[in-house]
Amino acid sequence: MLCLRGIHYSVNGKRIIEAVNMRFRRGMSYSILGPNGAGKSTLAYILMGVLKPSRGRVFLGETDITDLSITERAKLGISLLWQEPARYEGITVWEYLTLGGKLRVNKEELQRVLELVGLPYELYAHRFVDKSLSGGERKRIELASLLLLKPRYAVLDEPDSGLDITAGELIENVLNYFKETGTTVILITHHEEIAAKTDFAYFLCAGRLIKKGFSREVVEYYKRTCGRCFLAGMMRDEH
Amino acid sequence: MSIKIDRVKEYEALLDVYEKEGLDTSLFGDRIAAIIISGDKIIGLNNVSGVEIRGEEIEDGVRADVKIEDNVELHFPIHLCTGFLKNEGYQRVIFNITVGNNSKVKFLSHCIFPYAKDFIHDAYSKIKVGEGSLVIYEDEHIHGEGVKMISKTEVEVGRKGRYTGKFSLIKQRAKELKLEMSAKLADYAVTELTSKIKAIKDDSVEIREVLKLEGAHSRGNLKSTVIAFDNAKANVVNEAYGLGDYSKGHVECHEIVKGSADVQTIPLLRVRNDKAELTHEASIGRINEAQLMQLMAKGLTEDEAAELIIKGLLEGGNNLNP
Repeated sequence: MLCLRGIHYSVNGKRIIEAVNMRFRRGMSYSILGPNGAGKSTLAYILMGVLKPSRGRVFLGETDITDLSITERAKLGISLLWQEPARYEGITVWEYLTLGGKLRVNKEELQRVLELVGLPYELYAHRFVDKSLSGGERKRIELASLLLLKPRYAVLDEPDSGLDITAGELIENVLNYFKETGTTVILITHHEEIAAKTDFAYFLCAGRLIKKGFSREVVEYYKRTCGRCFLAGMMRDEH
Repeated sequence: MSIKIDRVKEYEALLDVYEKEGLDTSLFGDRIAAIIISGDKIIGLNNVSGVEIRGEEIEDGVRADVKIEDNVELHFPIHLCTGFLKNEGYQRVIFNITVGNNSKVKFLSHCIFPYAKDFIHDAYSKIKVGEGSLVIYEDEHIHGEGVKMISKTEVEVGRKGRYTGKFSLIKQRAKELKLEMSAKLADYAVTELTSKIKAIKDDSVEIREVLKLEGAHSRGNLKSTVIAFDNAKANVVNEAYGLGDYSKGHVECHEIVKGSADVQTIPLLRVRNDKAELTHEASIGRINEAQLMQLMAKGLTEDEAAELIIKGLLEGGNNLNP
């Protein structure tokens, strides 16, 4: 189980995350739902080790991983789908997905994951992961990379952003794939229809955890309340 | 390939270097138009239909005239091999290349100085691309530790002609490199000049790329990538001149620094026609942090991630594909 215990995060005295506790059990899927500026991506970065919490600890099972680096966490099976995947000049999709040959995968596996994210192998394997790709194509390649890594915990930060209308179907495919491989999914989104696809949900607002439970319940609550408190300044009082 | 009997040993020594470096030895075959130079001698020369190479041994080097007739399309590249197999000395090479109209040719220029310790290579190339012709010129270098290199290339691209010039020095030390490439474009001509260089230890690199968009609707792209490690120094000057109506140019310079390396880039964009357009893009400094972190989040260490990024920048990802 991956746990956030009493997480606080501040920047220049401004509180971004306040006393957040979350648990992610193996093989289940979770969404962290909330409006823009709720602190969702900050939590993703804290889980991956990109940011260190100002207070609180991150646990993997009984092990405190708060001070572990990004690479060390990745080696423990935590992976992150970045909201805005970087571009790499001169690196082909094939090289990128195999991490320059370090990840041992065969052509069939590559074909399978690329097809799963809607990209034909023949058209994409030799293209560069640079600015010649659209935002949607780049996002799909990042999803394929995550599928190949077979992480124990996959944190997906706004996986649908930049994708076309087939995004819902794609995310459903990815969730099903991870279900089969026993990967825990932590999906960060502000779209209730995407959040509803997971087993459980956390509703985060202005850096605080407002509600947790089955996705359907949390999504209903989010729909009822969040439209009225769009501005982050209002949120804390409203809830 | 005609090889003078007293130069067979030198020829074979060059072939050995090619094999050792993983270069394509079939470039020495009879189907390939080629000139093989070692020091101040021409040790091999081969012409094919539509291509005439004439070589002349001059003081400390070789001068060669390469003429491509009109409407020639070659399936194999023209091989220009310049070698120097001693430790020290001076070599001067002059290439005068004229490509007729509506031809398609590729040049592969290999500079092989594997044992150089105190050596100066001085190369001057003048390339004329005829109307509607397409020319690719790839310049690759295999160096020893001690090469001072001066390379100057002047290109004139005729109406609707296309020229792509690629210079790479990424496998061995640059030591002392002065590289100058300039292109003058006629109406509707297109040019791309690319240089990729890795500088380490106390290497010193100076690059000057010049794009003169004289013709109407001419287009050009200058792109330089320098990776500077340790105490290396690099100075990159990219100049673009928008002169012709609707001419369009783009200048791109990326320099990555590690250690105490000292790099600078100077773009010079000048427009003297209100219908011309020039753009510029530059990045200088350490490897982009987002790129590093995103690869580290896949389990690579920071060094492994940096290595992959640099490999991509320099080698264009050609070596790892299945």
